[in-house]
Amino acid sequence: MSMTRRMFVFGGAAIGGGLALGVIGLGTHLAVHDRLAVQREGNGKDTLLNLWLRVNQDNTVTLLSPHTEMGQGAGTGLTQIVADELDLNWDQIKLELAPPSTEFSNGGVFEGFIGEMIGKAPKWAEHIASNAFNRLADVLNMQMTGGSASIRFTGWNIMREAAAAARQMLINAAIDKHSASANTSTDSGFVVDGDNRWSYGELVEHAATLAVPEDYVLRSPSDRKFIGKAMPRHDLPDKVFLKTQYGIDRYVDGMRYAAIAHSGVFGADVASIDNLDEIIAMRGVLAVEKMGLSVAVIADNPWRAEKAVKALKITAASHENSDISSASIESFQRQSLQGELSDAHAVGDVTSVQDGTGETIEAEFWVPYLAHATMEPMNASAWMEGNKLHVAAGVQNPLYVRAHAAKIADMDIENVVFHAHSMGGGFGRRVGFSMSEDNPIMWIDEVVTLVKKYQFPIKLTWSREADTRQDVYRPAILANFSAQLDENGKPSYWKSASYGSEGGAPAAMTPYNIGNVQVQFANHPSPIPVGFWRSVENSQHAFFNESFIDILAEKAQTDPIAYRLSLLNKDDDHAKCLTEVAKLCNWQHGVSDDGKAMGVAVQKSFGTMVATVAEVSLQNNKARVHRVWVVTDSGVVVNPDSATAQIEGGIMFGLTAALYGRCDIENGGVKQSNFHDYPIVKMTEAPIVKVKLLQSDNIPGGFGEVGVPTIAPAVANALAVLGKRLTRLPINA
Amino acid sequence: MISITLNGREQSFDVEADMPLLWLIREEAGLRGTKFGCGIAQCGACTVHVDGQAVRSCMYPAVAAQDKQVNTVETLGSKDAPHALQTAWIKHQVPQCGYCQSGMMMAAAALLQNNANPSGEDIDVAMTNICRCGTYSRVKAAILDAAKEISS
Repeated sequence: MSMTRRMFVFGGAAIGGGLALGVIGLGTHLAVHDRLAVQREGNGKDTLLNLWLRVNQDNTVTLLSPHTEMGQGAGTGLTQIVADELDLNWDQIKLELAPPSTEFSNGGVFEGFIGEMIGKAPKWAEHIASNAFNRLADVLNMQMTGGSASIRFTGWNIMREAAAAARQMLINAAIDKHSASANTSTDSGFVVDGDNRWSYGELVEHAATLAVPEDYVLRSPSDRKFIGKAMPRHDLPDKVFLKTQYGIDRYVDGMRYAAIAHSGVFGADVASIDNLDEIIAMRGVLAVEKMGLSVAVIADNPWRAEKAVKALKITAASHENSDISSASIESFQRQSLQGELSDAHAVGDVTSVQDGTGETIEAEFWVPYLAHATMEPMNASAWMEGNKLHVAAGVQNPLYVRAHAAKIADMDIENVVFHAHSMGGGFGRRVGFSMSEDNPIMWIDEVVTLVKKYQFPIKLTWSREADTRQDVYRPAILANFSAQLDENGKPSYWKSASYGSEGGAPAAMTPYNIGNVQVQFANHPSPIPVGFWRSVENSQHAFFNESFIDILAEKAQTDPIAYRLSLLNKDDDHAKCLTEVAKLCNWQHGVSDDGKAMGVAVQKSFGTMVATVAEVSLQNNKARVHRVWVVTDSGVVVNPDSATAQIEGGIMFGLTAALYGRCDIENGGVKQSNFHDYPIVKMTEAPIVKVKLLQSDNIPGGFGEVGVPTIAPAVANALAVLGKRLTRLPINA
Repeated sequence: MISITLNGREQSFDVEADMPLLWLIREEAGLRGTKFGCGIAQCGACTVHVDGQAVRSCMYPAVAAQDKQVNTVETLGSKDAPHALQTAWIKHQVPQCGYCQSGMMMAAAALLQNNANPSGEDIDVAMTNICRCGTYSRVKAAILDAAKEISS
């Protein structure tokens, strides 16, 4: 294989029989994280991706994933890719998740798999072995929830590399062992040479003795049987029949339960517990522990622990954040945008045309902080077995969390065993790091600290209130826009400035052909913890950019889709999706007889172009979204039904943010606490969503996140047609 | 002591009168299919049936279930003998993360017991559970499908 791919396929006889193959790729694939200057623990810029395949003697193929289900069904997509590249029947391929046993779950998964399958890691791989778990998590994350194009590229290729190498090895085994001809090929789980057919299982033992070939070829799109088909998700039966174990379902004998109160001010310690005697006397309460930023109550039942926490009277230590509020943050951001700015994107020279004669159009936008609000609140279990600390939780990057737990426990990482569970929603919440360098996984610190001290098994569960008030939030952002229209109604310049380093990301750049563009941002450390929230910076910047272009179309008195198209090249994929979505929804610009209006928005993120139209009415001055049409353009679509489900879900997630989402800061903490004041769109408000997936031979784009960004501007733009132009979210504030 | 008939078996629990049924079910009885989501009866992840009616067990005091029939999602069906809702849930590929779905299915089961042939609007009104993954359209399609299956 070509070294330019910077990947290595290696393999050999699997312990217990069969052929095992692993793929390792080195390179800098983590642009999505590097962009936001997030440093990972591990080996810096060297990225390791691996994938394991085992061709079994019983003629099945196992795709081994050391990661638990993250919610979006990527495992199914992975098996579709492998089944096609290896030329399998669907019932031949199995997705195997690493069992939560010590051997697999201690984070030394790389070594674990090597140990199980080929005995020993190649020498050159050893130094990067410890990072393998993280990197495979990235591959899965990419497949399920998006991720940068480079990760997706590597993922798309890497899975096929291992399968293609395996297929070639099986062909070579038939040639070597049975003197098959050079025309030997495969057919649904068999190696075929004329009338001779050998099952993969028959050949696998011999194949395992052969060198990994370097001259394998990837199969052509016309050979695909599963990629592009709506194969049913592997994980759904377990979810429907209750076999899936989420972190919160973990139980070990002798378990006790901890509930948590935080100080209520970001960054502030708990200074004192003012009614300790009263709490200790409550039924079932075993201990009360003050731990810096929080207080834990341990009891014999989680409800008793939480009841005691709700009865706690605590005083927060004085802290510089104590006085901050949403208003003070907004005014600081407004002031910052008047100060020194960093340049993100520039076209032409805005200053040369800024003093033109046309009317200057200006807009200021604001989006609030948003909590993730996963359905399963943050939780973790921990216990000691001998000298080993066991930690069980649903997280996105288990090795990182294992390393973090070891650091908190002051133990060698070898003595920390991590059990990865399914996650009741992620949306970026269960990543171990954040944009503001705040610790998003405080619940790990808390449970580890408690178990170290008390030694008995503890499950720690954050209440919904703690979960809402101690998140790493989607950043609140203020943004200024200005433009001038020329005599043809086209912008002679476009100028924007937004608060936060995400303003430097490609998402902040307008996709429209405008001669003079200046995109800038101001950035200062955030007093509020901010993190990765489904679609990251795209959700804010799509709202700003797509609202502002709509404002310009309004000023130019032009149909908003026609206006956008007039500023795009004909072959641009924004134009393609806009044109398609206009057809799909039977686009009408204006207010219908029954008081509805359509609004449009388009945004490319994670390799997928998305154009969305929302049909909205005003009922008692509140926006009501009736129907939504989405057209995506994303290259190869591995599983169209999963992709559609992700778009449907992304629209609901984005609609909740657009209509209701707000975390207000008061006295240094978040005011909202639970679903009564942080409401989520329910079935009765859920619009009908129609999705059309455009496909091509290009590398697959992501789906998990890309449905989110366009819905807020599409709804806001529809409301503008109804006479209500909103530049601040949420809409139904 | 609180006595309830839990999933067909009469049992007694030494818990406070105000302990919510959810925590009795999950921790005292060890049945973890019923989920905790909010603790204030907003999300419905904890939905169980008390004497055949859907209740949100996180706010339902255990004592209120005294001498009543409590059925949890564990009674709904199994892989070998699935409830029509479970079959429809798989057919429509409803779950994403799956966490809210046991509460969703229990709410739907109670709906179908009361209304064997619900309209889309009936479903909207009855199904007030929160799904953060946004699976609502598939939930609705699956309920309509299961209703058809049950009545045929």
